[in-house]
Amino acid sequence: MQQLNTQHLRDYPKKPKQVYLFGTCIVDSFFPDTGMDAIELLEREGIEVIYPQGQSCCGQPAYNSGYKDEAKAVAMAQVKQFPLDIPVVVVSGSCGGMMRHHYLDLLGDDPEINNFCQRVFEFTEFLVHVLRLKPIDQGPKERVALHTSCAARREMGVHITGNKLISQLANVELVIHDYESECCGFGGTFAVKHADISAAMVADKSKNLLATDVVRYVSADHGCMMNINGALDYQKQSLRGEHIASYLLNRIKSNSSKGSL
Amino acid sequence: MKHIIEEESKYVASAKAFRANVTRDLGNEELRSNFRGAMDYLMDKRKGAFSSEDELEVLREQCKLIKQRCLAKLPHLLEQLEGNLEKNGIKVHWAETITEANEIIAQLIAQKKGKSVVKGKSMVSEETALNDYLEERNVECLESDMGEYIVQLAKEHPSHIIMPAIHQNKKQVAKLFADNIDGFEYSTDVDTLIQQGREVLRNKFCQADVGISGVNFAVAETGTLCLVENEGNGRMCTTIPDLHIAITGIEKVIEHLADVPPLLSLLTRSATGQAISTYFNMISSPRKLGEKDGPEEVHLVLLDNGRSQAFADEELKQTLQCIRCGACMNHCPVYTRIGGHAYGTVYPGPIGKMISPHMLGLEATTNLPTASTLCGACGEVCPVKIPIPKILLRLRQESVKPKSQQPQVMKGQGAGRNNVEALIWKVWAQVHKSPTMYALSMWGLTRFRFLMPKKLGGWTSVRTAPKPAATTLHQRINAKQKKTQQSQQERG
Amino acid sequence: MTNTKADIKAVSNTARGNILAKLKAEVNGADYKKLPEEVSFNYPKFSREENLAQFISELEKNHAQVIKTTKENMAEVISEQLKVLNITKLLYGENDSHREVINALDSKVDLQAYDFSIDNNKEMLFNECPAALSTSRCSIAATGSIVLWPDENEPRSLTLVPPVHLVIVDANELHADFASLMTSQQWQDKLPTNVVLVSGPSKTADIQQTLAYGAHGPKALIVLLINI
Ligand code: SF4
Repeated sequence: MQQLNTQHLRDYPKKPKQVYLFGTCIVDSFFPDTGMDAIELLEREGIEVIYPQGQSCCGQPAYNSGYKDEAKAVAMAQVKQFPLDIPVVVVSGSCGGMMRHHYLDLLGDDPEINNFCQRVFEFTEFLVHVLRLKPIDQGPKERVALHTSCAARREMGVHITGNKLISQLANVELVIHDYESECCGFGGTFAVKHADISAAMVADKSKNLLATDVVRYVSADHGCMMNINGALDYQKQSLRGEHIASYLLNRIKSNSSKGSL
Repeated sequence: MKHIIEEESKYVASAKAFRANVTRDLGNEELRSNFRGAMDYLMDKRKGAFSSEDELEVLREQCKLIKQRCLAKLPHLLEQLEGNLEKNGIKVHWAETITEANEIIAQLIAQKKGKSVVKGKSMVSEETALNDYLEERNVECLESDMGEYIVQLAKEHPSHIIMPAIHQNKKQVAKLFADNIDGFEYSTDVDTLIQQGREVLRNKFCQADVGISGVNFAVAETGTLCLVENEGNGRMCTTIPDLHIAITGIEKVIEHLADVPPLLSLLTRSATGQAISTYFNMISSPRKLGEKDGPEEVHLVLLDNGRSQAFADEELKQTLQCIRCGACMNHCPVYTRIGGHAYGTVYPGPIGKMISPHMLGLEATTNLPTASTLCGACGEVCPVKIPIPKILLRLRQESVKPKSQQPQVMKGQGAGRNNVEALIWKVWAQVHKSPTMYALSMWGLTRFRFLMPKKLGGWTSVRTAPKPAATTLHQRINAKQKKTQQSQQERG
Repeated sequence: MTNTKADIKAVSNTARGNILAKLKAEVNGADYKKLPEEVSFNYPKFSREENLAQFISELEKNHAQVIKTTKENMAEVISEQLKVLNITKLLYGENDSHREVINALDSKVDLQAYDFSIDNNKEMLFNECPAALSTSRCSIAATGSIVLWPDENEPRSLTLVPPVHLVIVDANELHADFASLMTSQQWQDKLPTNVVLVSGPSKTADIQQTLAYGAHGPKALIVLLINI
């Protein structure tokens, strides 16, 4: 289980003509811009994006709360929405980890499930390893920090791909914050059940991000950002996080003046 | 013959108070900074201890497989261990519960008319609350590990399994010594503090008639008890007094002597970043004829206390691979914030969350498995590759299962089940597995987003509430597709 | 006090039966041959010089003092060290291997042989023995460890109680690592009452992660390295 990050072992397919997008429930209801930006980015690379309207949530909230049967029902319903043998690109490392690794446990190791799990790619992983994207930076000079969610880091290796994408932007300086790999304290229902511990964690995370003196930080997970941005907003700080899909898109679009905060 | 009257572990009550403990300790600035400093130090130490990522990963795999083999053969290895220890002259005792273990030890001491005990570090004896038990029976029990000694003076229990007094800083220790040691010369210099502690304890080593220790590895093949330590107090306790009693959990047995070097190497490096501890002490018998020192009698008490319950489940069994290095707590962002005492259990941190439910039952510990973001930092460093987050997930499942659901894997199954919560998840599943229901609920969410409460319990005590978007991604993509179709039709 | 009448032998027997029965129910019929093959890390081979350098550097890192010497000079070195430390008395074990050293020391320091049982001599051992000299069986380069193999002549407390421990280490008995040492000497066949690996003076970091030496065992470890 610790070796879930198998990026280095994974056989990546050639650039496909079509992909599925799994938007995640948080993006769907709170941050649809991210989904639209991810689609635009993929389309610019000549890929047709299919967004099955029957998708909802990867099932992680119930799974992490111990409600296995409920998680199972929802997870199975998702698998059914992505029948074609094309990649499923997920705009969250945490949901990606759930679908790529935990579905096997949850739904059993059968060929259909296995095939599905094999097709799951986290968004930045897909950009780096499948598209081999070399973003041409058109934006102004700026410094930016990167926060990688824990599941994304430890289950999907997203800290490596996220870092790689940002580092390729010619005008962007990536600033590493203190305790960079430490959890922001979100953890789904943890933030509600143990709100005070979560609060202490997000206080430290936001402090460490603020100390970098950047105007924005980037992340591939809206779960963490809901937590960190919510804390920053509460503290009346102007620093905000932006999803890496939107950030990249803005940087490579020539007339990128649109700040999508 | 009278049976043992089982006493409830004192940790049942303190574990139940987890939420209150957390509130208390989160608010203690000094405590928080003591822990942060200590954890930074220990993480740093570990990082510098491995020559390469490769070495680390191969060693972890090796040690995992060693421990899994030993667990696969556990009952037979225990019998082999017992046979070889007895052959070597070391007496073996078995205890299912903490009171059984305590009573066995109390009577062994009474048989020798022991009055004064010096103890080396033993978390298992903390688990049984042995000191309390013996003191009630007028046996003086002195902790001799410096950290344990400090904790005992402060009338506390260890806040970390490797560094028991990690929650105190030197000023606090100086004050404690000043209040408790006769003739103490006040100083906050660590060397001076240790020297004064040394003097007190040396006298005790010289006088004590009983030494009690833990065991890091019990080698079945040779009948050998191995102890890992830096201070020398473990050697003192096992060498100077006439009677040595070791106590350990049944999972500490390993098959071969050759299993020791990799486990030892990974243990000390994961724990404190040391290539090896100052002393590695291997005891295979009491004093033999002609030998001039060493205890006349050596005993080993093997304790179950919930371990066989974990053993009975393939997944939870992995918990028993633990070699008690403490790396999981050193890297745990929750432990770093709340410290070791808040858990209310003997073993704090991720390892404590995994094993305490077996020792104390899920009723007392139902808050522990949920007090994790499942960030995975623990599993990433665990030297024997216990999938800690996965085990916590599993414990959450056992905790919210209906009480009567078979098979019953854990004491206290269903203790965390709340009917309202269970119902919410049921409805949640109904909605999210049906595209129509989901669409409907999203339609509602966006339409009525102004109704979204501004206050969301603990969430909004330090954060603003998130606001649903006016249109969902589903809706926007739908609209986009319609537009493209339209323009295609117009063109067509 | 309620349990004083319980028969601990019976308690232990019942517990033994229950525990083993529970465990055996789970492993019943298990085929140990099916256990996965175990891996191990291949450490690079080092030359004698490299091993020696590693041994010394690890020990020094851990605050041990390493003195390269010879059997002939050893008495001189020891008495010098004791003089520096202001120590006039040395406890030692009767042992043929360093008889000449002891003889040569006789005129220089107050020698005390460990020829008594500890039982009635604890006070003396704890309070009147500032330093001890012992031999070692062999040593380990990787971790800078010295293997003590106590016996009737060199009891366990000889190397534990006196605050200064001088130990003779033969460079010809240096092994690369613990695993290869155990295998080559087949320890599994003949472990004595007690074996101790010592890798420095006693220490603790229990107060605010600050290292302090001389917690309970010797405050100083002086390694007399011969046959380099
Ligand atoms: S669970 Fe793993 S990391 Fe934690 S104490 Fe045990 S062995 Fe060490």
